[in-house]
Amino acid sequence: MGRFALTAFVIAFFIFMLAPILVVVVVSFTSAGYASFPIPGWSLRWFVRIWEYPPFINAMITSTVVAVLATVLSCLISIPGALYLARARAGWANVVATFLLSPLSMPMIVIGFSSLFFLTAVGIGISMTALVITHTVVCMPYVLRTVIAVYRSVPPPYEEAAAILGANPLRTFIEVTLPLIRPGIAAGSLFSFLTSFDNLPVSFFFASAQTSTLPVVMLSYIENQFDPSIAALSTLQLALALVCLILADRLYGIKKMTVAA
Amino acid sequence: MTGLNRRRFLQTGTAGAGLMLAGSPGLLRAQAGQVLNVTAYGGVWETAVRECFVAPFETKTGARATVSLGAPAQWLAQVEASPQSPPLDVLIMSPDLAIVAAQSGLMQDLTVNRIPNLAKIPQEFTDACLGKGTYLDYGVAGITYNKDMVPNPPRSIAEFVDRVSAGEFVASVPSISYAITPIMLIWTMAEALGGGVDNVDPFFEAMERMRDNLVFWGGPNDFFNHLASGEADLGIYFDGRTWNHYDEGATWIDFINPEEGGALTAVAVQIPNNANPLAFDYMNEMLDAENQARFAEIMNYAVTNVDVVYSEKLQARVTPWQQTAFPPYEAIGAARNEWVDRWNREIGM
Repeated sequence: MGRFALTAFVIAFFIFMLAPILVVVVVSFTSAGYASFPIPGWSLRWFVRIWEYPPFINAMITSTVVAVLATVLSCLISIPGALYLARARAGWANVVATFLLSPLSMPMIVIGFSSLFFLTAVGIGISMTALVITHTVVCMPYVLRTVIAVYRSVPPPYEEAAAILGANPLRTFIEVTLPLIRPGIAAGSLFSFLTSFDNLPVSFFFASAQTSTLPVVMLSYIENQFDPSIAALSTLQLALALVCLILADRLYGIKKMTVAA
Repeated sequence: MTGLNRRRFLQTGTAGAGLMLAGSPGLLRAQAGQVLNVTAYGGVWETAVRECFVAPFETKTGARATVSLGAPAQWLAQVEASPQSPPLDVLIMSPDLAIVAAQSGLMQDLTVNRIPNLAKIPQEFTDACLGKGTYLDYGVAGITYNKDMVPNPPRSIAEFVDRVSAGEFVASVPSISYAITPIMLIWTMAEALGGGVDNVDPFFEAMERMRDNLVFWGGPNDFFNHLASGEADLGIYFDGRTWNHYDEGATWIDFINPEEGGALTAVAVQIPNNANPLAFDYMNEMLDAENQARFAEIMNYAVTNVDVVYSEKLQARVTPWQQTAFPPYEAIGAARNEWVDRWNREIGM
């Protein structure tokens, strides 16, 4: 009886979580000129509309470029920091780690608003550079957190053995440390990419004719238009997230990554 | 109040010289290569802006205009962050933010000398932006209903309240999370029921009476979904959006401007201080009768130039602004926080 109730609860829970997403996916295939459910017929016209409306495509390219650059920069900055902070015993190391993780606990809109005024004051202004810098700030904690978690579980004797056998620090890092922390980097990069790609509150303040990201264009579009192309875009974004997860699973294994996270 | 300082003197001089040189091929060559950064909402709005305003501007000046998509709060923050060198030259604004921007001293005065077509815009629209902007187009927040469910719709806000309270209909109204709810619902209903900006008790009393038969929409698409799914029979919504739904195939939808007048909800246009002087040429195109008429046909909304001649189809749809309720945006802005607080305590949605 208890097992039956638990199974029923789990099924109900998944239906509750997935039903709204499924509705969006179904609506994206509607033949109607407006979003409604159930749909009167099936059509790919709203996916075609995405390709016909240039700002969607331009914004998709901008979002992808920003997400890739922010993820790469996050890794370049966070991995060395994480390696140091994971093993540091000084009290201030915890303070630094907490500070670097703080963007996770701050409202994104505050980060976006303050970054706009700061980066404008230092002369960077509204530009692709500003957008990448701010996205990197938002994405860094994901890589830092996962790499620290993985690296803390790596016993120090592995690296000590490499050093004793004559490997210099760089070779030790490349041949011993990096393979061991790879699941953490993969998990952090995946979260980082998806966080940047979906980000609205930060991108909102740095949008211009050249730097509008997909969420900003979607918000602006939905303000005055009611067709289901936004549902079609959401379906594509969902597909992208699924592809990323499947690739990550094939390359590293979701199980290892979730342990890292 | 504006004082004459060095920058303003230089700007005025530049504008005067510009007027004298207008039409000169030499000036066109000088303007070619200049880039103006303008703003638009996404989707059909952006398409209409490019077709109706950007194209004639580029043809006449030889300059290029880039269109930034987004929202008024975003654009105002960007100008605030860099007032000496604003990243945008012409802003699309909501009426309440237009007043905030004007009061903050971020926007330029608009004059007929610099924008000849401003003479064709009712003075009330420019005054509503404190002289530092004007309205481009407007809609009316009235009663939108499902004709299949409501064969005999209420003709006034008072009748709307009575019949929803009696349980005859389920109504969908904007929630407090929607930015202009204080204007399109709280003030409008209070005004229609004998109150006003200083007394919104009639609105809260009406909401208490209707509460068992209300659903709330957080964004315009929610409202349409409420009607399409049968969750609501009618509600408070915009005329232009209603006609857009109708043209998209939802022919069961219809709109009534209530007898008391629905709230006028406008789109304002402003030019920041230190913007590219070509911004005035662009705004002149935005206020041109022919350009506005084409814009109105695409958007299904009324426009503001008094010389605009609408098509027969649109003429039947637009509401003359004199038949709307013109909200006191400045006073509403001052009372907004108190109303929101009261809404959260008494209504909670």
